Amino acid sequence: MSKLTSWRRHAATLSVVALVLAACGNGEDVDEPDAPDDDEEVVDDEPDDVDDEADDAEEEDAAPEEIETGLGITEEPCPEEVNPDNGCIYLGILSDLSEGPFAPLGVEVVAGQEDFWKRVNEDGGIAGQFDVNVTEYTRDTFYDPQTHSSEYRSIEPNILALAQTLGTPPTEAILPDMDIDNVVGLPAGWWSGQQFRDQDQGLILDSGYSYCMEAHLGLDYVADEVMDFDSVFVVGFPGDYGGDFNAGAEAWAEATGAEHLGFAETGTNALVGNQDAAVGAVLESGADVVGLAVGPAEAAEIVGGAVAEGFEGQFIGAVPTWNPGIMDSPAAPALEAAFLHIGSWEPFDGDSDAHAAMQEALDGEMPNNDGYTFGWIWSYPLLTGLQDAAANGDLTREGLRAATDEMVVDYEGALPDRDFSLDGDEGAPRVATVNRPNSEVDSLLETIATDYTGETADAFDYTEPCIIP
Amino acid sequence: MELLAVFLSVLVRGVGIGSTYALLAVGFVIIYRATDVVNFAQPALMILGAYFTALYVHNAGVPFPLAVLAAMGTMALIGALTERVALRPMVGEPPFSAAMVTVGVFFALFILSFRLIGSNPISTGEPWGFERIIVGDLQFRQVDIARTLISLGAIGLTGLFLQRSKVGLAMRATAMDQETSLAQGVNVGRMFGLSWAISGALAALAGVMISAGSGGTVPLDAFIALKALPVIILGGLDSIKGSVVAGLIIGVAEATALSFNSTLTPTVGENVYLVVPYLIMMLALMVRPYGLYGTPEVQRV
Repeated sequence: MSKLTSWRRHAATLSVVALVLAACGNGEDVDEPDAPDDDEEVVDDEPDDVDDEADDAEEEDAAPEEIETGLGITEEPCPEEVNPDNGCIYLGILSDLSEGPFAPLGVEVVAGQEDFWKRVNEDGGIAGQFDVNVTEYTRDTFYDPQTHSSEYRSIEPNILALAQTLGTPPTEAILPDMDIDNVVGLPAGWWSGQQFRDQDQGLILDSGYSYCMEAHLGLDYVADEVMDFDSVFVVGFPGDYGGDFNAGAEAWAEATGAEHLGFAETGTNALVGNQDAAVGAVLESGADVVGLAVGPAEAAEIVGGAVAEGFEGQFIGAVPTWNPGIMDSPAAPALEAAFLHIGSWEPFDGDSDAHAAMQEALDGEMPNNDGYTFGWIWSYPLLTGLQDAAANGDLTREGLRAATDEMVVDYEGALPDRDFSLDGDEGAPRVATVNRPNSEVDSLLETIATDYTGETADAFDYTEPCIIP
Repeated sequence: MELLAVFLSVLVRGVGIGSTYALLAVGFVIIYRATDVVNFAQPALMILGAYFTALYVHNAGVPFPLAVLAAMGTMALIGALTERVALRPMVGEPPFSAAMVTVGVFFALFILSFRLIGSNPISTGEPWGFERIIVGDLQFRQVDIARTLISLGAIGLTGLFLQRSKVGLAMRATAMDQETSLAQGVNVGRMFGLSWAISGALAALAGVMISAGSGGTVPLDAFIALKALPVIILGGLDSIKGSVVAGLIIGVAEATALSFNSTLTPTVGENVYLVVPYLIMMLALMVRPYGLYGTPEVQRV
């Protein structure tokens, strides 16, 4: 075979692969997993009898002296030794940290979680007997379910729980194993299915509303505070994110009598090249309000492009549509004029005690993006679960899982307290913050409403996931 | 009149993006002609070019045009260094092995781009943004005009350099026959390095063009460069002229399909315009496997 023919075949093969990826359009990035950690620590299955010396943990008085422990907990202190007399609880992190589509967010979520648990340790740890380590078993899974699954298997024997499992498809890939292993985990995402026990077996300890509820709340806010409107259109990534958001918008339109003009599926720019098709779909729809459930750069391009073409309506964006970097783009004026960002909680410069703590952790510096805030606030349910399990004298996986089923989480004001014994309709949070891009404020995002809840969101019959991806 | 407006709008948009595809494809072709290697690191060079432009504009306060030139220079240097360190030792090895090295170089530079760009999208500070040029009842995006003029201008200058300069002649001679060129006193190794330098500079410019008119650029956008593959298949792996013609054909075809996207969606599904370049590529492989302007192969039986 000649050289030229060979090259054409190679190039053609690569092109066909690119074609298939583009056609699938799921935003996943497939790569080889890292080699499993060969020097994993020996796990101590015996009950821990570590002396209780820390004296400032709130739950200490209630904690029994003998706490049963199991996998993921050692008598030896954590590698960083904040409290040298404490044992160590190891939590795993499966995130997107380098090459996947959510890496910019994943890196900051991890940073927020590391600082959250550092603060917990500095306050004496769990029941004054255990510090928490979230660095030893952090793995980059590239938002790839297969890698996520293999990395979960490699760290599972050494962890008590997952401090983060990023992305719905990767999390769904390990959920059956988590169930068998009794490993609870914190999500990094807001798919509505994670608020229903029959979907996640109570293993995923989510915080804040779902994308589906987010659409309700955003549209309620626009109707209440911005403008009267008759029609709504959604542009989003397919599946658990954009699909869930669109299902919420559709339900909102049905409840209010507004017209739902459709859902334009798009992908990251890496997949689709640019957002020209999405801009065209927005303009062609003629909608008054457009919901966006895409990435930040894609959102900015759609808003900037549509406004330049004469779009005069209102955009609302889901949580992941925001990144301060987009305010450096040419879309900034359009974002300030026509875009509202809906959030589960206030951005980093918010006013709650939780925000004050994270601001103190960064010593007044701003994080690179709000993933840091997400990581911090997402961590509260696991802290409460660990504290409750310790108070029950049972820090085994089974004990932790049982504790999380009944816990009431205090988010230090970042969110209303949440009772995890309540499922779906009763337990799902229905409050949002609403933010407007503003180049005059430090975070470039000005909060214009907090603890907002809308009539349609409140009345929504939330008895099942809005979408099953 | 409305039909004419739609036609012109599609044409300008298609030529704009097609010119950028052509620019990317020329980068592939120059290295292929000189070294017989398809450079799979081109996407990473592209995204690093956008990064360095943003760096020079925002951190060093360099005006945008100078920042673009500086970024092209930086990427030319990185390209030449890459060739010297990673590819030169592969001289004499089968081209497929060298291509695998470029895959490795891609991942190294791609990871580097993640480290350099960090958590947030970057913008190059380009002046066109979402602005429009209004001609009577017609509106055109400035970015499409800019892409067309700058990309085709850069390709033209590259072609001129290869055709008219002594170094260009040496590069072409190297591309035709390395051993004979060596015998004639051409420093073949230097020609290899130069081809990588030119390719790196063009990739940097393509990165700026791709990121123009967007809401920000992230490292994953490197994969947009894969659009050049159908272009080089259609145009011919070893033809710069073919890259230009094929880039424009594919750009216009894609823009045309995009303009009918909503009409086609109920029948063939969402975003069918994305597969148009690859359909054209498949057609080209079936009808004219060496491309529109590629060198036909003669095989001795």
